[in-house]
Amino acid sequence: MEEFYLICEDSLEGIFTGIYDAYLKKKPHGQIHLLTGGEENYRLFAVYETCTPDEGKAAKVAGTIMREFGEEAYLAICRALASREPDKGEAIYKTVAAGLAMKNKRQVMGNLANPYIHRVFELARFTANEAHFHVEFLRFRELESGILYAPIGPKNNLITFIVPHFADRLPLENFIIHDDVRNIFAVHPARRDWYLVYGDEKLKQAEQNLSEGEKKYSALFSSFFHTIAIKERKNYGLQRNMLPLRYREYMTEFQGK
Amino acid sequence: MESNLIVRRNEEMSVMEKLGILSDAAKYDVSCSSSGVGRRGDGTGIGNTLAAGICHSFSADGRCVSLLKILFTNECIYDCKYCVNRKSNDVPRASFTPDEICELTIQFYRRNYIEGLFLSSGILYSPTYTMELIYEAVYKLRTLYRFQGYIHVKAIPGADAEIVRRLGILADRMSVNLELPTAEGLKRLAPNKHRKNILTPMRQIQQGITQNKNEIALYRHAPSFVPAGQSTQMIIGATPESDYQIMMVAESLYRKFDLKRVYYSAFVSVNEDKELPALPGGPPLLREHRLYQADWLLRFYGFEAQELLSEKKPNFNILLDPKADWALRHLELFPVEINRADYRMILRVPGIGVKSAQRILRARQNGSLNFNDLKKIGVTLKRALYFITCSGKMMYPTKMEEDYITRNLIGEKERLPFDRDGMTYRQLSLFDDCGDIFWKG
Repeated sequence: MEEFYLICEDSLEGIFTGIYDAYLKKKPHGQIHLLTGGEENYRLFAVYETCTPDEGKAAKVAGTIMREFGEEAYLAICRALASREPDKGEAIYKTVAAGLAMKNKRQVMGNLANPYIHRVFELARFTANEAHFHVEFLRFRELESGILYAPIGPKNNLITFIVPHFADRLPLENFIIHDDVRNIFAVHPARRDWYLVYGDEKLKQAEQNLSEGEKKYSALFSSFFHTIAIKERKNYGLQRNMLPLRYREYMTEFQGK
Repeated sequence: MESNLIVRRNEEMSVMEKLGILSDAAKYDVSCSSSGVGRRGDGTGIGNTLAAGICHSFSADGRCVSLLKILFTNECIYDCKYCVNRKSNDVPRASFTPDEICELTIQFYRRNYIEGLFLSSGILYSPTYTMELIYEAVYKLRTLYRFQGYIHVKAIPGADAEIVRRLGILADRMSVNLELPTAEGLKRLAPNKHRKNILTPMRQIQQGITQNKNEIALYRHAPSFVPAGQSTQMIIGATPESDYQIMMVAESLYRKFDLKRVYYSAFVSVNEDKELPALPGGPPLLREHRLYQADWLLRFYGFEAQELLSEKKPNFNILLDPKADWALRHLELFPVEINRADYRMILRVPGIGVKSAQRILRARQNGSLNFNDLKKIGVTLKRALYFITCSGKMMYPTKMEEDYITRNLIGEKERLPFDRDGMTYRQLSLFDDCGDIFWKG
């Protein structure tokens, strides 16, 4: 049996193009697999093809998903796309295929007995949970220029899921959220729409100098944070469950401790 | 003469010292939730709220830090025996000014340290006077600073109805502390407080909320009154009430006063007093934990307090959680067939929570589920397996015998959120807030 491996770019556009090309083959879905990025151990008797991301194809797939599955499922798939896991392309492709074959297509994400749909559900949950953690634990520092700057180090590429929350919350602030791992900056100028900047050195240099107010309020908050704990109930295990150590690196109240 | 001295001292104090004193004095208040109201920013100020609420940090005791929890002042004319701020205690006293509170709230909020303000207070001169002070600070924060985040204020029993009404329009959540589960307990430990005085503002807030809902239905832009609802808290273990009494009180608060939450606070001994129990083992955390578990059963699982406890069995089982305990006493209802049973019954199976139950309902539309599917869905099979069948089969051959199952459930050590001491709850982000489940898919 002939097997096809489509290698796509690790992005929404890349993977959606891959799904489009997979359908073009007009072969059973079981024979086609999507890979994102990197080399694998090539298998004998399998055909490997590279998909070039195509805006038009991707838009068609996105439109179909949105129309057939509804907005909620589309959002879940977008979250899965932001995942760091390499099998996401395959899981999303097979989810789309399984969903389109269902009678009630809007229920696709409820069909957790299907292993691919369950995988997409898992990936989406991971991204959503991590995004929520960042909404909770992200900390802004005020720079000398008055700009608020927040570095984050997420496992999944979730910056676009958290910025709208802060843009709504702080419309009059100039702020920057910086994904330290991927070197992506989300820039929000006061009263205007936010945008993404990839790997800008100038922005990086601006990070260093903190304002006077910053020193005062970060000290006040750290002190508040330590007095609010009830010593008779001390429970570091619970604290660690709720607030994993990896977030603390960026958090004001855990600095210098 | 003496009061002058105190005022001067207060003015000399730095914000850092005041924050130290007034957050230390507020920390025994349990409520920290910032949930119940979803409101987008209007673009002219600072802040929004999320229906699910947001915790911003977790302190060393594992409790969530969501709001800037402070007292306006820790001066107090009352002498409640369990309270650190009681009149007869010799502790440093301080008071904030409204501006200091606004500045702290805004500066913390824009750095994403907090979700809003929790403002309570000791009683200075009189309840009404104190609430006027709180009102001044909150009014300034809402109007001058254009703060649109979450505000939780305490209504002080005995204050004018008018000030409670005005404050309710500015705040998202209000709470009146029940303090102790029964009127007798209150009389013994808080001689200046009366049950009737506590219930009056609670009733007023409830009626205000109901009336406001009608107004909003008529006029979309009518100002909302306490949109996130009201809560209360009671101290557990300072007085001799049984769990049954406490649950009955909680249930009637939910039913008759439409409360959003009742908080239970394990008594922490901060004062030496002959009326107070000695607690050599520390605060009664396991008891508090069981009460919260039962509270969840009341609110989300369709249980009634009478089903869980009775006059004859007035306290919770130490070894088993209330749901497992109930299931073991009602083995005639089990096992439940996962592919057919209705939602209410599935919810009653130990090891299946609200989320898993909902997922089961959605997933079984596409074909029958087996044990492996249940595991993927998130069911805790090691607890549930004694109570369920999938397509008519149990997971393992199991005796439907109370003793046998009890032994096995206890053998599977329960995961408590604390080992010997310390525990708490992350605020629930699933239902307080059906409105929009924004983040979690």
